[in-house]
Amino acid sequence: MDSPLLEVWHGASASPFLPTIGKGTQFPVAFLLLLIGFTLTGAFTLNRSIINLPLLGIPASLAFAYVPVVPRLNMSQPTQDASGPPLFRAVTSSTRPLYQLLKAIGFTNKIHVEITPEGLRFGADHARVMQGAAHWNKNLFASYITNLPPAPANNDDDDAATDDPEPVSFQISLPAFLETLQIFGVADVAARQSRLDIDPLARGNPRLNNQHRTGGGGGHGSDAFSLQTLHGSSTTSSNGTCILSYPSDGGPFSIILDEAGVKTTCNLTTYLPETPEDIPFDVEDLSFKVIMQARYLLDALAEVGSISPERLTIAVSRKEPYLRFRTSGSHSGTGAPGVESTVDFKRGRDLLETFSVRAVDRAKGERRWSQTFKFDTIKAATEAMKIASKVSLRGDGQGVLSMQFMVEVEGAGGGGGGAGGGVPGGGVGLSFLDFRFVPYATDGDEESDTEGEGDDVDMGDV
Amino acid sequence: MRFKTELKNIRTFSRLVAALNTLEKIAWVRLDDDTVRFTVIPDTGSQVWASFSVDTIFDSYHIQSAEASNTINLELPLGPLQRALKSALNSNHASLRLTKRDGIPMLSMTIHTMTKDAPSRRGNNPKTTDPMDRNDDYDDADNDPFSETNNSLYPQESLELTHKREREKVITQDIPVRVLHPDTVETIMQPKVREPDVHILLPPLVQLKGISDRFTKLAITTASASSSSSSSARKEALNPKLEISANMHGSLRLRLVADTLDITSVWDGCLENPELDPAQLTVPIEEHPSTKYREAGPEKWATVRVDGKDWSRVLSVGRLEGSRVIACFTHEHALILYVYVRRADDDDFPGVGAGRDGDGEDVVTYYVTGYSP
Repeated sequence: MDSPLLEVWHGASASPFLPTIGKGTQFPVAFLLLLIGFTLTGAFTLNRSIINLPLLGIPASLAFAYVPVVPRLNMSQPTQDASGPPLFRAVTSSTRPLYQLLKAIGFTNKIHVEITPEGLRFGADHARVMQGAAHWNKNLFASYITNLPPAPANNDDDDAATDDPEPVSFQISLPAFLETLQIFGVADVAARQSRLDIDPLARGNPRLNNQHRTGGGGGHGSDAFSLQTLHGSSTTSSNGTCILSYPSDGGPFSIILDEAGVKTTCNLTTYLPETPEDIPFDVEDLSFKVIMQARYLLDALAEVGSISPERLTIAVSRKEPYLRFRTSGSHSGTGAPGVESTVDFKRGRDLLETFSVRAVDRAKGERRWSQTFKFDTIKAATEAMKIASKVSLRGDGQGVLSMQFMVEVEGAGGGGGGAGGGVPGGGVGLSFLDFRFVPYATDGDEESDTEGEGDDVDMGDV
Repeated sequence: MRFKTELKNIRTFSRLVAALNTLEKIAWVRLDDDTVRFTVIPDTGSQVWASFSVDTIFDSYHIQSAEASNTINLELPLGPLQRALKSALNSNHASLRLTKRDGIPMLSMTIHTMTKDAPSRRGNNPKTTDPMDRNDDYDDADNDPFSETNNSLYPQESLELTHKREREKVITQDIPVRVLHPDTVETIMQPKVREPDVHILLPPLVQLKGISDRFTKLAITTASASSSSSSSARKEALNPKLEISANMHGSLRLRLVADTLDITSVWDGCLENPELDPAQLTVPIEEHPSTKYREAGPEKWATVRVDGKDWSRVLSVGRLEGSRVIACFTHEHALILYVYVRRADDDDFPGVGAGRDGDGEDVVTYYVTGYSP
């Protein structure tokens, strides 16, 4: 794709050479050394003695000696630095899976990016009550290079860098990132379109039309019958490349899209990481765990969401109705019974692949878990429900809800670990999206529910 | 005053009208012996001067006017014309004539369509026009200019439909027009712009439009996301400006700068800077600004800032098939697009460098509004 020379060139531009003594300060430093040299020599000639020899004479000669070294000090590094690669560089020929995964957590304006040798981790945070994480495994990329700084010192040795690199993190604008990723494919599709328009032969071929109609995401395979072969056009390549790179800490995060003769460079301003603390989720103290198809969850939420509710209560119990989603209208804040809508999985236990409840409601001796969430936050995970195949719902003793989505991603080899969720990575082409939700604080009998869900506060040993 | 013609190359005509219609609803049409000219001048945004040779879209053309040089000036709504042309797309032949109905001047399009045997009785699909609804009888008192007279709600079907027979459908579409006095249009002048610094053959407009539209969307989404901006800044952000640059070394650059990002698309050196025809120039070619830009090397860019939405509407002219578009940049001043339309029956494609004013050729000229930085 790229010639090695081009790589070197990119690398060079990415990590500009910074001398230990800056270009601007070389003269003052040398001048200062000269001045010291002259002063000491003067003092030494005035009072030549054995004692003054090490005191004045030797420093003077040293000062003179280092003057010509100053510029040379700066010349000693560039051979290593110029080829010094950027902090991060990844190449892919299809941005579609990247876009889909990122869009699933597209509920914030700024997104936290963390670069690790295994992939990119994205974290989105909404008012500290909802967090979403997506993970781009390095298998999604044709090439994935990181040169993260090792934890303490900045040795130039490469092997030191691989030992314990410190992940690099920053924030970027999420809408801008998403939109930019969508540019990939536009140029290519458009170029095909125009050629199809011109060539009636190509237009008459339904297969070709299908190919370009479905090709929103770019990354079309080229076979012997593709347009390129038909037209023998060598100027445009069907498979564009998308290069993501982060040249240096604090610099822009750049996306370079190269396809159909157009090169688009987008430099996203990076912001200092806010390092939002993860919503604590105690994997050791799981209250329940449900695994189901993401579609069922989507359907259930669509059903109860039709009343545009304010709150969603998720209740899990060992007895019927097993799993219940109940929403209530906007009056619930005042305690008045607003409109309510409920979906039970009473008869649909078969729909739940894994179902275990460990929480103990001490008051009743029942095993159930119930928490209320702001509906809009849960709704923000809708995009993830659409693209995921399975979802794992878990709740911990403190009432925090974790939703982990398993997404089958095209072109992704063995998935890495879930996005910080503690579930080990699955097989081929899997990626995980992790959401956490903080429930409303429940104080005593706020719930108007006859089933006494308010009692559940106790179960977490708060 | 008489005007009557058959239509040809309806697809081209239809796409031209569609492209013009994105910019403004009303067009000024000037017909004379040789050319037909469409002019669109919106309140804000880009002007279009489209000049077609009569042979390109008309056949058996008759024009007769009392005015000087046999000219007819009309003001017509583009929407109804576009709809009329749409229904004429699959016709056998269509004709256009200037007529008067109840004292209102009309441009009346008569469309003849042969329907093959009907394999199954289609319901009253509003797209297919009904044979009984022929509007030949002109006593239809419906003067609503925007009604489509061929759309009857309850079409009556004759028994003949069961016979598999070829039948002719005739559709008449009336477009209300205003006949303009020559004095009123005399004042409308094509903008005068100094010689361009850079002229370049644009990449396929579909591609350019695709990327430009993404840029515009990018600007709008990121602007609406950042809530800190004041209302005036927000309004500015909702009409984002794109920076378009070109050099004389075959490169075109599209750029958008916002708080959160800086994005640039470059067609690097792969485009063509057509040669100028010295005979057409007012200055010697050595002194032409473009020569200076060429000599200044690839880093010498001529830049114009355009409104993203307006630019997108301008680029919709890309629907004209196989047209070549030359963009003329006057640095920080103006951008003019010359769209040379290819005739379906014409292999001899109009020369690129010659005739930049497009006299006697099929050329659509866009004067794109530029904004200062």
